[in-house]
Amino acid sequence: MQVRVDPDKCQGHTLCAMRAPKLFELSDIDGHASALVDDVPADQEDDAVEAFQSCPEQAIVLVGGPPA
Amino acid sequence: MTIDDVNEIETDAERDKKRYHFDRHTPEYRLQFEATTADLHGKCPVAWSDTYGGHWVASGHQEVFDIARSADVLSNDFDPERGYQGVTIPTSPSKLQGGFLEMDPPEQRHYRQALNPYLSPAAVARWTPFVDELVRAALDEKIESGAIDFVDDLANVVPAVLTLAMMGLPLKDWPIYSGPSHAMVYTPPTSPDMPRVVQEAIRMMQRLAQAVVEARQQPRPGLIDALIHAQINGNSPSDEDIRGALILLIGGGFDTTTALTAHSLEWLSEHPTERERLRAERDSLLDSATEEFLRFYTPAPGDARTFSSDCAIAGTTFKEGDRLWLSWAMANRDASVFPDPNSIDLSRKGNRHSSFGLGIHRCIGSNMARMTFKRMLVHVLDRMPDFVCDPAGTAHYETIGVINGMKHLPATFTPGPRIGPGLDETLDTLQRACDEQQLAEPVTQRPERAQVIE
Repeated sequence: MQVRVDPDKCQGHTLCAMRAPKLFELSDIDGHASALVDDVPADQEDDAVEAFQSCPEQAIVLVGGPPA
Repeated sequence: MTIDDVNEIETDAERDKKRYHFDRHTPEYRLQFEATTADLHGKCPVAWSDTYGGHWVASGHQEVFDIARSADVLSNDFDPERGYQGVTIPTSPSKLQGGFLEMDPPEQRHYRQALNPYLSPAAVARWTPFVDELVRAALDEKIESGAIDFVDDLANVVPAVLTLAMMGLPLKDWPIYSGPSHAMVYTPPTSPDMPRVVQEAIRMMQRLAQAVVEARQQPRPGLIDALIHAQINGNSPSDEDIRGALILLIGGGFDTTTALTAHSLEWLSEHPTERERLRAERDSLLDSATEEFLRFYTPAPGDARTFSSDCAIAGTTFKEGDRLWLSWAMANRDASVFPDPNSIDLSRKGNRHSSFGLGIHRCIGSNMARMTFKRMLVHVLDRMPDFVCDPAGTAHYETIGVINGMKHLPATFTPGPRIGPGLDETLDTLQRACDEQQLAEPVTQRPERAQVIE
Protein backbone atom coordinates (compact mmCIF):
# COMPACT_ATOMS: atom_id res chain seq x y z
CA MET A 1 0.00 0.00 0.00
CA GLN A 2 1.28 3.47 -0.91
CA VAL A 3 0.17 6.78 0.57
CA ARG A 4 0.43 10.46 -0.30
CA VAL A 5 -1.37 13.70 0.46
CA ASP A 6 -2.80 15.84 -2.35
CA PRO A 7 -1.48 19.31 -1.42
CA ASP A 8 -4.19 21.00 -3.49
CA LYS A 9 -6.92 19.40 -1.39
CA CYS A 10 -5.32 19.40 2.09
CA GLN A 11 -6.58 22.28 4.25
CA GLY A 12 -4.73 21.39 7.44
CA HIS A 13 -7.47 19.63 9.41
CA THR A 14 -4.69 17.47 11.02
CA LEU A 15 -6.80 14.34 11.49
CA CYS A 16 -4.40 12.13 9.48
CA ALA A 17 -1.45 12.90 11.75
CA MET A 18 -3.70 12.47 14.78
CA ARG A 19 -4.78 8.99 13.62
CA ALA A 20 -1.48 7.87 12.06
CA PRO A 21 1.41 9.92 13.47
CA LYS A 22 4.03 7.57 12.00
CA LEU A 23 2.68 8.07 8.48
CA PHE A 24 1.99 11.81 8.30
CA GLU A 25 3.70 14.98 9.44
CA LEU A 26 2.26 18.48 9.68
CA SER A 27 3.89 21.70 8.60
CA ASP A 28 4.95 23.78 11.61
CA ILE A 29 3.77 26.87 9.77
CA ASP A 30 0.27 26.00 8.56
CA GLY A 31 -0.45 22.44 9.70
CA HIS A 32 -0.83 21.06 6.19
CA ALA A 33 0.04 17.38 5.97
CA SER A 34 2.51 15.36 3.98
CA ALA A 35 3.25 11.64 4.00
CA LEU A 36 6.40 10.52 5.83
CA VAL A 37 6.71 7.35 3.76
CA ASP A 38 5.81 6.24 0.26
CA ASP A 39 5.18 2.62 1.16
CA VAL A 40 3.03 1.95 4.20
CA PRO A 41 4.58 -0.68 6.53
CA ALA A 42 2.31 -3.72 6.72
CA ASP A 43 1.59 -3.20 10.42
CA GLN A 44 0.38 0.37 9.76
CA GLU A 45 -2.05 -0.29 6.94
CA ASP A 46 -5.05 -0.04 9.29
CA ASP A 47 -3.80 3.38 10.46
CA ALA A 48 -3.42 4.51 6.85
CA VAL A 49 -6.96 3.43 6.03
CA GLU A 50 -8.32 5.17 9.13
CA ALA A 51 -6.49 8.38 8.16
CA PHE A 52 -7.82 8.08 4.61
CA GLN A 53 -11.37 7.63 5.85
CA SER A 54 -11.09 10.44 8.42
CA CYS A 55 -9.85 13.17 6.09
CA PRO A 56 -12.61 15.80 5.80
CA GLU A 57 -11.23 17.00 2.46
CA GLN A 58 -10.56 13.48 1.06
CA ALA A 59 -7.03 14.65 0.36
CA ILE A 60 -5.27 11.34 1.09
CA VAL A 61 -4.47 9.06 -1.80
CA LEU A 62 -4.00 5.36 -1.09
CA VAL A 63 -2.68 3.13 -3.86
CA GLY A 64 -3.38 -0.54 -3.35
CA GLY A 65 -5.66 0.57 -0.52
CA PRO A 66 -9.21 -0.25 0.41
CA PRO A 67 -11.88 -0.60 -2.28
CA ALA A 68 -13.35 2.78 -3.16
CA MET B 1 -40.10 35.71 -24.88
CA THR B 2 -36.47 36.75 -24.23
CA ILE B 3 -33.54 34.67 -23.02
CA ASP B 4 -33.89 36.31 -19.61
CA ASP B 5 -37.51 35.18 -19.42
CA VAL B 6 -36.50 31.61 -20.25
CA ASN B 7 -33.77 31.71 -17.62
CA GLU B 8 -36.21 32.98 -15.04
CA ILE B 9 -38.69 30.21 -15.79
CA GLU B 10 -35.92 27.59 -15.51
CA THR B 11 -34.75 29.10 -12.23
CA ASP B 12 -38.27 29.05 -10.80
CA ALA B 13 -38.73 25.45 -11.93
CA GLU B 14 -35.51 24.36 -10.23
CA ARG B 15 -36.56 26.05 -7.01
CA ASP B 16 -40.11 24.68 -7.17
CA LYS B 17 -38.76 21.12 -7.39
CA LYS B 18 -36.72 21.60 -4.23
CA ARG B 19 -38.83 24.00 -2.19
CA TYR B 20 -38.72 23.32 1.58
CA HIS B 21 -39.59 25.70 4.39
CA PHE B 22 -36.40 26.08 6.42
CA ASP B 23 -35.84 28.59 9.23
CA ARG B 24 -32.87 27.76 11.40
CA HIS B 25 -33.41 30.80 13.65
CA THR B 26 -36.56 29.39 15.30
CA PRO B 27 -36.58 27.50 18.61
CA GLU B 28 -38.45 24.72 16.77
CA TYR B 29 -35.45 24.04 14.55
CA ARG B 30 -33.31 23.41 17.63
CA LEU B 31 -35.92 21.20 19.27
CA GLN B 32 -36.63 19.21 16.08
CA PHE B 33 -33.11 19.26 14.67
CA GLU B 34 -32.77 15.50 14.17
CA ALA B 35 -36.20 15.08 12.55
CA THR B 36 -35.71 18.10 10.25
CA THR B 37 -32.26 16.86 9.26
CA ALA B 38 -33.52 13.37 8.40
CA ASP B 39 -36.43 14.86 6.44
CA LEU B 40 -34.13 17.11 4.42
CA HIS B 41 -31.68 14.27 3.75
CA GLY B 42 -34.54 12.08 2.53
CA LYS B 43 -36.41 14.65 0.41
CA CYS B 44 -33.92 17.20 -0.84
CA PRO B 45 -30.32 17.30 0.45
CA VAL B 46 -30.07 20.56 -1.51
CA ALA B 47 -33.30 22.50 -0.86
CA TRP B 48 -34.66 25.92 -1.74
CA SER B 49 -36.18 27.90 1.14
CA ASP B 50 -38.09 31.16 0.65
CA THR B 51 -37.07 32.43 4.09
CA TYR B 52 -34.78 35.49 4.47
CA GLY B 53 -35.11 36.60 0.86
CA GLY B 54 -34.74 33.06 -0.46
CA HIS B 55 -31.71 30.81 -0.27
CA TRP B 56 -30.45 27.30 -0.93
CA VAL B 57 -29.84 24.93 1.98
CA ALA B 58 -27.26 22.15 1.59
CA SER B 59 -27.63 19.46 4.27
CA GLY B 60 -26.46 16.17 2.74
CA HIS B 61 -22.84 15.31 3.45
CA GLN B 62 -21.85 14.67 -0.18
CA GLU B 63 -23.67 17.79 -1.34
CA VAL B 64 -22.08 20.00 1.34
CA PHE B 65 -18.69 18.48 0.53
CA ASP B 66 -19.01 19.02 -3.22
CA ILE B 67 -20.32 22.57 -2.97
CA ALA B 68 -18.11 23.85 -0.13
CA ARG B 69 -14.98 22.85 -2.01
CA SER B 70 -16.03 24.58 -5.25
CA ALA B 71 -14.18 27.79 -4.43
CA ASP B 72 -14.14 28.81 -8.09
CA VAL B 73 -17.92 29.38 -8.13
CA LEU B 74 -18.49 30.43 -4.50
CA SER B 75 -17.90 33.77 -2.84
CA ASN B 76 -17.62 34.61 0.86
CA ASP B 77 -17.35 38.28 0.01
CA PHE B 78 -19.36 40.90 1.88
CA ASP B 79 -20.30 43.42 -0.79
CA PRO B 80 -24.00 44.30 -0.44
CA GLU B 81 -23.93 46.56 -3.50
CA ARG B 82 -23.24 43.46 -5.59
CA GLY B 83 -25.76 41.47 -3.55
CA TYR B 84 -22.98 39.41 -2.00
CA GLN B 85 -23.75 39.33 1.69
CA GLY B 86 -21.03 37.28 3.28
CA VAL B 87 -21.46 34.27 5.51
CA THR B 88 -24.61 35.13 7.45
CA ILE B 89 -28.27 34.62 6.51
CA PRO B 90 -29.95 37.01 7.08
CA THR B 91 -27.28 39.67 6.54
CA SER B 92 -25.41 40.64 9.68
CA PRO B 93 -27.22 43.52 11.43
CA SER B 94 -23.86 45.24 11.98
CA LYS B 95 -23.42 45.52 8.16
CA LEU B 96 -19.66 45.34 8.67
CA GLN B 97 -17.38 42.96 6.85
CA GLY B 98 -16.60 39.94 9.04
CA GLY B 99 -12.84 39.92 8.61
CA PHE B 100 -11.18 37.51 6.20
CA LEU B 101 -14.03 35.00 6.53
CA GLU B 102 -16.02 37.44 4.42
CA MET B 103 -13.32 37.82 1.77
CA ASP B 104 -12.26 35.78 -1.24
CA PRO B 105 -8.73 34.91 -2.35
CA PRO B 106 -6.19 36.32 -2.81
CA GLU B 107 -6.83 38.74 0.09
CA GLN B 108 -8.28 35.96 2.27
CA ARG B 109 -5.22 33.79 1.63
CA HIS B 110 -2.85 36.62 2.51
CA TYR B 111 -4.54 37.11 5.88
CA ARG B 112 -4.32 33.41 6.64
CA GLN B 113 -0.68 33.24 5.63
CA ALA B 114 0.06 36.07 8.07
CA LEU B 115 -1.75 34.35 10.96
CA ASN B 116 -0.99 30.65 10.37
CA PRO B 117 2.40 30.66 12.16
CA TYR B 118 0.56 31.71 15.35
CA LEU B 119 -2.22 29.10 15.07
CA SER B 120 -0.66 26.00 13.49
CA PRO B 121 -0.58 22.74 15.50
CA ALA B 122 3.07 23.38 16.43
CA ALA B 123 2.33 26.99 17.39
CA VAL B 124 -0.64 26.05 19.57
CA ALA B 125 1.16 23.14 21.29
CA ARG B 126 3.58 25.68 22.81
CA TRP B 127 0.70 27.13 24.84
CA THR B 128 -0.28 23.85 26.51
CA PRO B 129 1.51 24.58 29.84
CA PHE B 130 -0.14 28.03 29.86
CA VAL B 131 -3.59 26.49 29.38
CA ASP B 132 -2.96 23.81 32.01
CA GLU B 133 -2.09 26.47 34.58
CA LEU B 134 -5.11 28.57 33.61
CA VAL B 135 -7.51 25.61 33.88
CA ARG B 136 -5.93 24.61 37.19
CA ALA B 137 -6.61 28.07 38.60
CA ALA B 138 -10.19 28.21 37.26
CA LEU B 139 -10.97 24.87 38.91
CA ASP B 140 -9.16 25.84 42.13
CA GLU B 141 -11.56 28.78 42.47
CA LYS B 142 -14.40 26.25 42.89
CA ILE B 143 -12.85 22.96 43.97
CA GLU B 144 -13.38 23.43 47.73
CA SER B 145 -17.02 24.42 47.35
CA GLY B 146 -18.21 21.35 45.44
CA ALA B 147 -20.16 23.53 42.99
CA ILE B 148 -19.21 25.10 39.66
CA ASP B 149 -20.85 26.58 36.60
CA PHE B 150 -18.87 24.98 33.79
CA VAL B 151 -19.78 27.84 31.42
CA ASP B 152 -19.22 30.87 33.67
CA ASP B 153 -16.32 29.50 35.71
CA LEU B 154 -14.38 27.45 33.16
CA ALA B 155 -15.42 27.35 29.50
CA ASN B 156 -15.91 31.13 29.20
CA VAL B 157 -12.61 31.87 30.92
CA VAL B 158 -10.02 29.66 29.24
CA PRO B 159 -10.60 30.32 25.51
CA ALA B 160 -10.95 34.06 26.20
CA VAL B 161 -7.73 34.40 28.19
CA LEU B 162 -5.75 32.31 25.69
CA THR B 163 -7.08 34.32 22.74
CA LEU B 164 -6.07 37.60 24.39
CA ALA B 165 -2.63 36.14 25.17
CA MET B 166 -2.16 35.15 21.53
CA MET B 167 -3.28 38.58 20.36
CA GLY B 168 -0.85 40.31 22.72
CA LEU B 169 -3.56 41.95 24.84
CA PRO B 170 -3.67 42.24 28.67
CA LEU B 171 -5.03 38.99 30.11
CA LYS B 172 -6.98 40.73 32.87
CA ASP B 173 -9.17 42.42 30.23
CA TRP B 174 -10.79 39.08 29.37
CA PRO B 175 -14.24 39.92 30.84
CA ILE B 176 -14.49 43.05 28.65
CA TYR B 177 -14.26 40.82 25.56
CA SER B 178 -15.93 37.68 26.87
CA GLY B 179 -19.23 39.15 28.08
CA PRO B 180 -20.44 40.75 24.85
CA SER B 181 -18.92 38.03 22.64
CA HIS B 182 -21.29 35.48 24.13
CA ALA B 183 -24.25 37.77 24.82
CA MET B 184 -24.34 39.18 21.28
CA VAL B 185 -24.87 35.62 20.02
CA TYR B 186 -27.56 34.45 22.41
CA THR B 187 -29.53 37.64 23.13
CA PRO B 188 -32.60 37.90 20.87
CA PRO B 189 -32.80 41.26 19.05
CA THR B 190 -36.10 42.03 20.83
CA SER B 191 -34.79 41.27 24.34
CA PRO B 192 -35.02 44.11 26.91
CA ASP B 193 -31.41 43.21 27.76
CA MET B 194 -30.22 44.00 24.23
CA PRO B 195 -29.39 47.72 24.80
CA ARG B 196 -27.07 46.74 27.67
CA VAL B 197 -25.43 44.05 25.53
CA VAL B 198 -24.93 46.53 22.69
CA GLN B 199 -23.33 49.00 25.11
CA GLU B 200 -20.92 46.28 26.24
CA ALA B 201 -20.13 45.40 22.63
CA ILE B 202 -19.41 49.06 21.85
CA ARG B 203 -17.08 49.22 24.86
CA MET B 204 -15.28 46.11 23.59
CA MET B 205 -14.91 47.62 20.11
CA GLN B 206 -13.54 50.84 21.58
CA ARG B 207 -11.04 48.91 23.67
CA LEU B 208 -9.98 46.92 20.63
CA ALA B 209 -9.57 50.07 18.51
CA GLN B 210 -7.42 51.58 21.24
CA ALA B 211 -5.36 48.37 21.42
CA VAL B 212 -4.56 48.53 17.70
CA VAL B 213 -3.42 52.16 18.03
CA GLU B 214 -1.26 51.25 21.04
CA ALA B 215 0.20 48.23 19.24
CA ARG B 216 1.35 50.49 16.40
CA GLN B 217 3.08 52.82 18.89
CA GLN B 218 4.50 50.17 21.20
CA PRO B 219 4.88 46.90 19.29
CA ARG B 220 4.20 43.67 21.20
CA PRO B 221 4.31 40.20 19.66
CA GLY B 222 1.01 38.54 18.79
CA LEU B 223 -1.81 38.36 16.29
CA ILE B 224 -2.37 42.15 16.31
CA ASP B 225 1.26 42.71 15.41
CA ALA B 226 0.97 40.10 12.65
CA LEU B 227 -2.02 41.93 11.18
CA ILE B 228 -0.31 45.33 11.39
CA HIS B 229 2.63 43.97 9.39
CA ALA B 230 0.63 41.76 7.00
CA GLN B 231 0.88 42.41 3.28
CA ILE B 232 -2.57 42.04 1.74
CA ASN B 233 -2.20 42.24 -2.02
CA GLY B 234 0.87 44.39 -1.42
CA ASN B 235 -0.88 46.78 1.00
CA SER B 236 -0.96 47.08 4.77
CA PRO B 237 -4.46 46.60 6.18
CA SER B 238 -6.25 49.63 7.60
CA ASP B 239 -7.16 49.83 11.29
CA GLU B 240 -10.74 49.02 10.29
CA ASP B 241 -9.63 45.88 8.45
CA ILE B 242 -7.46 44.87 11.42
CA ARG B 243 -10.42 45.31 13.78
CA GLY B 244 -12.54 43.17 11.45
CA ALA B 245 -9.97 40.39 11.59
CA LEU B 246 -9.69 40.66 15.39
CA ILE B 247 -13.46 40.53 15.85
CA LEU B 248 -13.50 37.43 13.67
CA LEU B 249 -10.79 35.81 15.82
CA ILE B 250 -12.68 36.70 19.01
CA GLY B 251 -16.03 35.57 17.62
CA GLY B 252 -14.50 32.37 16.32
CA GLY B 253 -12.37 31.68 19.37
CA PHE B 254 -14.66 32.36 22.32
CA ASP B 255 -18.24 31.17 21.99
CA THR B 256 -17.51 28.08 19.89
CA THR B 257 -15.05 26.41 22.24
CA THR B 258 -17.29 27.31 25.17
CA ALA B 259 -20.21 25.65 23.40
CA LEU B 260 -18.28 22.47 22.65
CA THR B 261 -16.98 22.14 26.20
CA ALA B 262 -20.32 22.76 27.87
CA HIS B 263 -22.24 20.32 25.68
CA SER B 264 -19.62 17.62 26.12
CA LEU B 265 -19.57 17.97 29.90
CA GLU B 266 -23.37 17.90 29.98
CA TRP B 267 -23.39 14.65 27.97
CA LEU B 268 -20.70 13.08 30.15
CA SER B 269 -22.74 13.92 33.26
CA GLU B 270 -25.71 12.15 31.70
CA HIS B 271 -23.55 9.14 30.75
CA PRO B 272 -21.37 8.39 33.80
CA THR B 273 -20.26 4.99 32.49
CA GLU B 274 -18.93 6.60 29.31
CA ARG B 275 -17.34 9.35 31.41
CA GLU B 276 -15.49 6.78 33.50
CA ARG B 277 -14.42 4.97 30.32
CA LEU B 278 -13.05 8.22 28.88
CA ARG B 279 -11.30 9.06 32.15
CA ALA B 280 -9.65 5.64 32.39
CA GLU B 281 -8.84 5.18 28.69
CA ARG B 282 -8.03 8.75 27.71
CA ASP B 283 -4.75 7.83 26.00
CA SER B 284 -6.65 5.92 23.35
CA LEU B 285 -10.03 7.72 23.50
CA LEU B 286 -9.41 11.44 23.98
CA ASP B 287 -8.72 12.20 20.31
CA SER B 288 -11.66 10.24 18.90
CA ALA B 289 -13.99 11.47 21.66
CA THR B 290 -13.06 15.07 20.88
CA GLU B 291 -13.80 14.60 17.18
CA GLU B 292 -17.09 12.91 18.04
CA PHE B 293 -18.19 15.75 20.31
CA LEU B 294 -17.21 18.17 17.53
CA ARG B 295 -19.29 16.19 15.01
CA PHE B 296 -22.32 15.76 17.22
CA TYR B 297 -22.57 19.28 18.66
CA THR B 298 -21.11 21.27 15.70
CA PRO B 299 -20.68 24.55 17.65
CA ALA B 300 -20.75 26.69 14.48
CA PRO B 301 -23.59 24.97 12.62
CA GLY B 302 -23.02 26.45 9.18
CA ASP B 303 -21.92 29.28 6.91
CA ALA B 304 -23.50 31.11 4.00
CA ARG B 305 -22.00 31.61 0.57
CA THR B 306 -22.99 33.47 -2.60
CA PHE B 307 -22.67 31.76 -5.99
CA SER B 308 -20.30 33.83 -8.10
CA SER B 309 -21.31 32.25 -11.42
CA ASP B 310 -24.00 30.06 -12.93
CA CYS B 311 -23.13 26.43 -12.26
CA ALA B 312 -24.46 22.92 -11.64
CA ILE B 313 -23.15 21.02 -8.61
CA ALA B 314 -24.51 18.00 -6.80
CA GLY B 315 -27.44 17.73 -9.20
CA THR B 316 -28.68 21.29 -8.73
CA THR B 317 -28.45 24.28 -11.06
CA PHE B 318 -27.46 27.51 -9.33
CA LYS B 319 -27.51 31.08 -10.63
CA GLU B 320 -24.91 33.78 -10.05
CA GLY B 321 -25.99 35.77 -6.99
CA ASP B 322 -27.96 32.88 -5.40
CA ARG B 323 -27.47 32.63 -1.67
CA LEU B 324 -26.64 29.31 0.01
CA TRP B 325 -26.54 27.93 3.55
CA LEU B 326 -23.95 25.19 4.03
CA SER B 327 -25.06 23.22 7.07
CA TRP B 328 -22.03 21.59 8.65
CA ALA B 329 -24.29 20.43 11.48
CA MET B 330 -26.74 18.57 9.25
CA ALA B 331 -23.98 17.13 7.05
CA ASN B 332 -22.51 15.73 10.27
CA ARG B 333 -25.68 13.68 10.83
CA ASP B 334 -25.74 12.05 7.38
CA ALA B 335 -26.26 8.32 7.92
CA SER B 336 -24.53 7.47 4.63
CA VAL B 337 -21.23 8.67 6.11
CA PHE B 338 -21.78 8.36 9.88
CA PRO B 339 -23.50 5.10 10.93
CA ASP B 340 -26.05 5.70 13.70
CA PRO B 341 -25.49 9.45 13.26
CA ASN B 342 -27.65 10.62 16.17
CA SER B 343 -25.68 8.66 18.77
CA ILE B 344 -22.36 9.62 20.33
CA ASP B 345 -19.69 6.94 19.87
CA LEU B 346 -16.52 8.02 21.67
CA SER B 347 -14.41 5.67 19.55
CA ARG B 348 -16.06 6.43 16.19
CA LYS B 349 -13.90 5.59 13.16
CA GLY B 350 -13.73 7.43 9.85
CA ASN B 351 -15.14 10.56 11.48
CA ARG B 352 -14.68 13.00 8.59
CA HIS B 353 -16.93 15.64 10.15
CA SER B 354 -17.13 19.15 8.78
CA SER B 355 -17.41 21.03 12.08
CA PHE B 356 -14.49 23.30 11.20
CA GLY B 357 -15.88 23.87 7.72
CA LEU B 358 -14.50 22.47 4.48
CA GLY B 359 -12.34 23.99 1.78
CA ILE B 360 -10.22 27.12 1.84
CA HIS B 361 -12.06 28.75 4.77
CA ARG B 362 -11.44 25.86 7.21
CA CYS B 363 -11.46 27.29 10.78
CA ILE B 364 -8.03 28.84 11.35
CA GLY B 365 -8.37 28.29 15.11
CA SER B 366 -9.18 24.57 14.98
CA ASN B 367 -5.92 23.55 16.63
CA MET B 368 -6.46 25.98 19.46
CA ALA B 369 -10.05 24.78 19.92
CA ARG B 370 -8.99 21.14 20.16
CA MET B 371 -6.13 21.80 22.56
CA THR B 372 -8.08 24.00 24.98
CA PHE B 373 -11.08 21.65 24.90
CA LYS B 374 -8.93 18.60 25.67
CA ARG B 375 -7.08 20.28 28.52
CA MET B 376 -10.32 21.53 30.13
CA LEU B 377 -11.89 18.09 29.79
CA VAL B 378 -8.91 16.20 31.23
CA HIS B 379 -8.57 18.51 34.24
CA VAL B 380 -12.29 18.17 35.02
CA LEU B 381 -12.12 14.38 34.74
CA ASP B 382 -9.11 14.34 37.07
CA ARG B 383 -10.33 16.74 39.71
CA MET B 384 -14.14 16.47 39.57
CA PRO B 385 -14.67 12.93 38.29
CA ASP B 386 -18.13 12.53 39.85
CA PHE B 387 -19.61 15.85 38.68
CA VAL B 388 -23.37 15.96 38.18
CA CYS B 389 -24.87 18.74 36.09
CA ASP B 390 -28.10 20.34 37.27
CA PRO B 391 -30.73 20.30 34.51
CA ALA B 392 -32.84 22.89 36.35
CA GLY B 393 -30.06 25.47 36.14
CA THR B 394 -28.83 24.51 32.68
CA ALA B 395 -29.52 27.08 29.96
CA HIS B 396 -29.09 26.23 26.28
CA TYR B 397 -29.29 28.93 23.63
CA GLU B 398 -32.91 29.16 22.54
CA THR B 399 -31.89 29.00 18.89
CA ILE B 400 -28.92 27.45 17.11
CA GLY B 401 -28.94 29.60 13.97
CA VAL B 402 -25.53 31.08 14.77
CA ILE B 403 -23.94 29.03 17.56
CA ASN B 404 -25.12 25.80 19.20
CA GLY B 405 -24.23 27.19 22.60
CA MET B 406 -25.00 27.21 26.31
CA LYS B 407 -25.39 30.08 28.76
CA HIS B 408 -25.10 28.15 32.01
CA LEU B 409 -24.17 24.64 33.11
CA PRO B 410 -24.14 24.39 36.91
CA ALA B 411 -22.80 21.19 38.46
CA THR B 412 -21.97 19.72 41.85
CA PHE B 413 -19.16 17.31 42.76
CA THR B 414 -17.28 15.93 45.77
CA PRO B 415 -15.15 18.85 47.02
CA GLY B 416 -11.38 18.57 46.81
CA PRO B 417 -8.30 20.54 47.92
CA ARG B 418 -6.91 23.57 46.13
CA ILE B 419 -3.49 22.93 44.62
CA GLY B 420 -2.44 26.47 43.68
CA PRO B 421 -3.29 30.16 43.64
CA GLY B 422 -6.63 31.52 42.43
CA LEU B 423 -7.47 33.01 39.05
CA ASP B 424 -6.44 36.65 39.65
CA GLU B 425 -3.00 35.74 40.99
CA THR B 426 -2.54 33.19 38.22
CA LEU B 427 -3.43 35.75 35.54
CA ASP B 428 -0.63 37.95 36.96
CA THR B 429 1.80 35.04 36.76
CA LEU B 430 0.73 34.16 33.23
CA GLN B 431 0.96 37.80 32.15
CA ARG B 432 4.57 37.91 33.35
CA ALA B 433 5.27 34.72 31.40
CA CYS B 434 3.78 36.31 28.26
CA ASP B 435 5.86 39.46 28.70
CA GLU B 436 9.17 37.92 29.74
CA GLN B 437 9.17 34.98 27.33
CA GLN B 438 7.41 36.74 24.43
CA LEU B 439 5.03 33.79 24.24
CA ALA B 440 2.93 35.35 21.49
CA GLU B 441 5.77 35.32 18.95
CA PRO B 442 5.02 33.13 15.91
CA VAL B 443 6.34 29.56 15.99
CA THR B 444 8.83 30.50 13.28
CA GLN B 445 10.55 32.83 15.76
CA ARG B 446 9.87 31.10 19.07
CA PRO B 447 9.57 27.32 18.83
CA GLU B 448 9.92 26.71 22.60
CA ARG B 449 7.01 25.81 24.87
CA ALA B 450 5.80 28.26 27.49
CA GLN B 451 7.30 28.01 31.00
CA VAL B 452 4.64 29.04 33.46
CA ILE B 453 5.35 27.52 36.88
CA GLU B 454 7.38 30.01 38.95
